[in-house]
Amino acid sequence: MHRVGSAGNTSGSNRPRKEKRLTYVLNASDDTKHSAGVNCLAVLKSNGSCRSEHLFTGSRDGTLKRWAIDEEAGQAATCSATFESHVDWVNDAVLVGDHTLVSCSSDTALKTWNCMSNGVCTKTLRQHSDYVTCLAAAGKNSNIVSSGGLGGEVFVWDIEAALAPVSKSNDGTEEEASNGISGGASNLPITSLRTINSSNSLHSTPNHGYIPTAAKGHKESVYALAMNDSGTILVSGGTEKVVRVWDPRSGSKTMKLRGHTDNVRALLLDSTGRYCLSGSSDSMIRLWDLGQQRCVHSYAVHTDSVWALASTASFSHVYSGGRDQSLYLTDLSNRESILLCSEDYPILQLALDDESIWVASTDSSVHRWPAEGHNPQKMFQRGGSFLAGNLSFSRARASLEGSTPIPVYREPTLKVPGVPAIVQHEILNNRRHVLTKDTSGSVKLWEITRGTVIEDYGEVSFDEKKKELFEMVSIPAWFTVDTRLGSLSIHLDTPQCFSAEMYSADLQIAGKPEDDKVNLARETLKGLLAHWLAKRKQRLGSQSSANGEVQSVKDISARSMTHSRIEVDGSAENDSMIYPPFEFSAVYPPSIITEGSQGGVWRKKITDLDGTEDEKDLP
Amino acid sequence: MGAAGSKLEKALGDHFPEGERYFGLENFGNTCYCNSVLQALYFCVPFREKLLEYYEKNKNPVDPEENLLTCLADLFTQISSQKKKTGVIAPKRFVQRVRKENELFRGYMHQDAHEFLNFLLNELVDILEKESSATKDSSENSSSEKVANGPRNGLANGVQKEPLVTWVHKNFQGILTNETKCLRCETVTARDETFFDLSLDIEQNSSITSCLKNFSSTETLNAEDKFFCDKCCSLQEAQKRMKIKKPPHILVIHLKRFKYIENLGRYKKLSYRVVFPLELKLTNTMEDADSEYSLFAVVVHVGTGPNHGHYVSLVKSHNHWLFFDDENVDIIDESAVQTFFGSAQEYSSNSEHGYILFYERLTSETS
Repeated sequence: MHRVGSAGNTSGSNRPRKEKRLTYVLNASDDTKHSAGVNCLAVLKSNGSCRSEHLFTGSRDGTLKRWAIDEEAGQAATCSATFESHVDWVNDAVLVGDHTLVSCSSDTALKTWNCMSNGVCTKTLRQHSDYVTCLAAAGKNSNIVSSGGLGGEVFVWDIEAALAPVSKSNDGTEEEASNGISGGASNLPITSLRTINSSNSLHSTPNHGYIPTAAKGHKESVYALAMNDSGTILVSGGTEKVVRVWDPRSGSKTMKLRGHTDNVRALLLDSTGRYCLSGSSDSMIRLWDLGQQRCVHSYAVHTDSVWALASTASFSHVYSGGRDQSLYLTDLSNRESILLCSEDYPILQLALDDESIWVASTDSSVHRWPAEGHNPQKMFQRGGSFLAGNLSFSRARASLEGSTPIPVYREPTLKVPGVPAIVQHEILNNRRHVLTKDTSGSVKLWEITRGTVIEDYGEVSFDEKKKELFEMVSIPAWFTVDTRLGSLSIHLDTPQCFSAEMYSADLQIAGKPEDDKVNLARETLKGLLAHWLAKRKQRLGSQSSANGEVQSVKDISARSMTHSRIEVDGSAENDSMIYPPFEFSAVYPPSIITEGSQGGVWRKKITDLDGTEDEKDLP
Repeated sequence: MGAAGSKLEKALGDHFPEGERYFGLENFGNTCYCNSVLQALYFCVPFREKLLEYYEKNKNPVDPEENLLTCLADLFTQISSQKKKTGVIAPKRFVQRVRKENELFRGYMHQDAHEFLNFLLNELVDILEKESSATKDSSENSSSEKVANGPRNGLANGVQKEPLVTWVHKNFQGILTNETKCLRCETVTARDETFFDLSLDIEQNSSITSCLKNFSSTETLNAEDKFFCDKCCSLQEAQKRMKIKKPPHILVIHLKRFKYIENLGRYKKLSYRVVFPLELKLTNTMEDADSEYSLFAVVVHVGTGPNHGHYVSLVKSHNHWLFFDDENVDIIDESAVQTFFGSAQEYSSNSEHGYILFYERLTSETS
C-alpha cells in the first residue's frame, strides 16, 4: 500500500506544458465483452414488441455497451454497440427521454450518447472537478439529470438545454440563460463557473453556454443520488453519513436525514418522492418518510456494506445487494427477507425488470436472475425467509452463529459474458514484455510493442513466473503501465519515452542492417498510427506528394525530436515501414487516449482513427 | 543532604516501605535530563527487577566489557543495596557511558529527556540482542521467541533470523496498526508498527484522553492525495487511521511540547495545559476489553523554552508520591500532581509542565 499524490483525472492539466502523454490501451478481446467490473446498468424496454429489450452497461474498462436481449433467440445477449470515449471508470449511467444515454466517469466528465446509435458520443459535459460517482434521472418524460461526485459536488442538468447547439451569444447572455434555470439566489452558477476556472485551466468554456445548477451543501464526497419521477425532489448521500434532500429545480437544501453510521452508497426514491430507501456501508437499509422527516424503519439484512438497491414501483419490496455478494428481497412492511442468490463477486448495481433482475458486480460479466417484478410476494411462498432485525451488523453476528440462509436460485437465467480483468502486472526488464495476472488466475505475457499476448501460461504462480522470466538487462524505462481499466494501459510521456533503443538484430528485424538502432517508442507509435497515417494520406488525396507519407512520419519524428535529444540518422527519417515487432493487431486493436490541442482528452480505437484527428495531438 | 534525607525518613516514619531506597542523583552540569528519566525507570518496578536480576547473573563476567546495560544494572543495584534508606548517589559511570555511546549527549547543552529515554531503551535492546546471538553461536540451544521489532539482518543462507523478544520489549513495547480503507471497495489494508512510547500532539486545555483520540482519528485521503488501492488498481478516496493493536505493559506517553515555529525559525515550548489522569483507560484499542493503567511517574520539564530548562520527576512508590529534583527528594501530596498539567495562559508564572508520563497496566501480568 502506498500513497501516490496525483490528480484524479487523466487530463494532464497538472503536467508542465512541454510534456505530452499518449496512452494506448491493449484490449484483450474484441468489442463484444467488457474487460473490467460493471459499475452500472440501465434497462430500455422497447415500445413495440414486449419481448425484446436492451440492456446498457457501464464498466470500469471505461466503456458502455448496449446489449440486445432477445428472449426468443435462445436467451442470449448480443453486444450491439460500444460507447467508447471516457478515459476512466464509467461509474453510472441513466436513460433520459426517448433516446439519450447519459454516463458519468472518474474522468470527471458526463457524456451523452444516442442510445440506439453505434456508439458516438454526442456531448461531453465538464463541470465536476473530481470523480463523478453517480447520476439520477427524473421520470420518463423529464430531461432532468443530477450528477454527484467526490468533493461533495452535486449538479442538476437540463439535458435538453445542455445538448442544444451552441448559441453565438456572449457570456452575458449565457449567464442570464442559466440564471433562469437556477432561480435560487444562493446557488449561482457563476460561482460554480469561477470554481472551475480557478482549479483547472482546461475548463474555461466547459459546456459552450449551458451551466448546470449547483446543489451546494455537501461537505464531503457524494456516492449516491436519487430523484423522483417529476424531478421535484433530489436525495444525495455519501461519506457524511447523512441523507440530504434538495429541490433540484433551485439547488436549495430541504432537509437532512440522520441515522446511518457509515457511508451512504445507494439511494432510491419512490415515484412521489415521499419515501426514500437508503443502503449504507453500515450494512443497513433504511426507509425514510420525507413528509415526517425521519427514518421509519431500518432493516438488518446484509452482513456487509449495502451498495445497490432496486425496488418495485409501489415501494413495497426492495432488492438489495452489496459487499457480501448476496442479493436479498425484503418486504418493507413485515420485514421478511429472503436470500435470492449468492454471486461470486460483490454486487455493485441492480436493475429491476418485469420478470427479472439484472445484477452487475466487480466481475466483468452481468447476470440476470428471476424476479417477480409485479408480484414479489410470490417469492416468500417458497419459505426460507427470515425477519430482518434493526441493529447494524446483527445479521453478521447471526451468520457467525450458523444461521446462513439458503439462496432461492443457484443459477442465473442469463449471463452476459465478460473478459477477466487484469489485477496484477509486472514490467519485465527487457522493457517490451509485461507479465499479467487476471481475475481468473490466468497468467499471461504481453509484448507491448505489438500489443498482443505472446504467452498464456494458464493458472500458474505469478511470482514464480516473474522469477523465471527474470533477465539481467538494463533498458531505460520508456513507458509506464497501469491496469486501472482492467487492461494494460501503456503511457508514453515525452520526452523520456524516446530514451530506449535496441539494435535491429536483437529485435530480429529482417532486411535491416543488424547494427541499426531502433527507437522503441518511435517504432511503437508508428505501428499504432499506421492506420491513421494511411487514412490521412487518403484524405489529403491530391495534396500528398511522393514525399507525403514520408513527410508525415518526418513531421511526427521531427516534432518528437524537438522534445527529445535523440539523434535519428538520415535513413531512419525516410522510413515509414512498420516492422513486425511493432505490428499491432487489427483484430483486437488497442485504443489511444491522448490530450487534444483544444483541451480535453479523447479516446479512440486505432482502427477508428479516420485521419481527421489533429496531428498536433500526437507526440 | 543528610538533613533532607532524614527529613524524608521522618515524614514517612513507620510507613517507609520495606527494602525501598529513595536516593537523589547528583547533577553533573546538565544531566537532569538523565536523572529524571532514571528515577522514573527505577520506580518502574518490573523494569528495575530485570536489571537487578541482570546484575546478579553477570556479577563476575568472563569478559568484563562495559556497556549501558551493565552500567544501568550497576547503578540500580547500587541504589537498591544502599545501607541507608535515603541519600544521594552520583551516577558517574553511567553518565560517562551515555556520553561515550552517543555524541548527542556529549555536550553540556540542554538535552531532551524523551530523546534520552528513547536512546536508552533502544540501546538496551541492541545489547540484549547481541548477547543473545553471542550465546546462540556458542551453544546449540535456540532460545528465540516470538517476533519483536520486525525482521533484522538475515543469515548468510538467506534465512531470516527471528529477533529476540527482550524484557525491554515485554515491558515497554506496544503495537500500533495503521489502517487504510479504500472507500470504493472498502478493503482495509493494515500495517503494523511497534512503539516504545506514544508521542502525542497537544492542544491548549486538553486532556490525555482527547490527545489520544486525535492520535487515532481518521484522516481522509482524497482530492490530489488519493490512495492507490491494490484491489481497485486505481486511485480512490480512502480513510486512514491509527489504532493501538497491542497496548504495552508500561505505556509511556510523550507530550509534544517542543514545536518548530516556521516564522521564528526555532523551537518553542508549548506550555499548554494538558490534564493527565492518575488512572487511565485506553478504549480505542483493537482488544476486546479496555486497558486500564495507573500513573506511576512523570518527567516534568521546567522552563519557558526548549534550550534552557530543568527536568524533575514525580514518582509514585508504594502509594505515596515523591518529588525528585536531582539530589533532592521530597514527599508530596497526590493532589500536587495537578500543578504540573500546564498553564492555561500563555505567560504564567508556572513553568513546570508534565512532559513524559509513565503508566503501568493494571490487570495483565508483568514479565
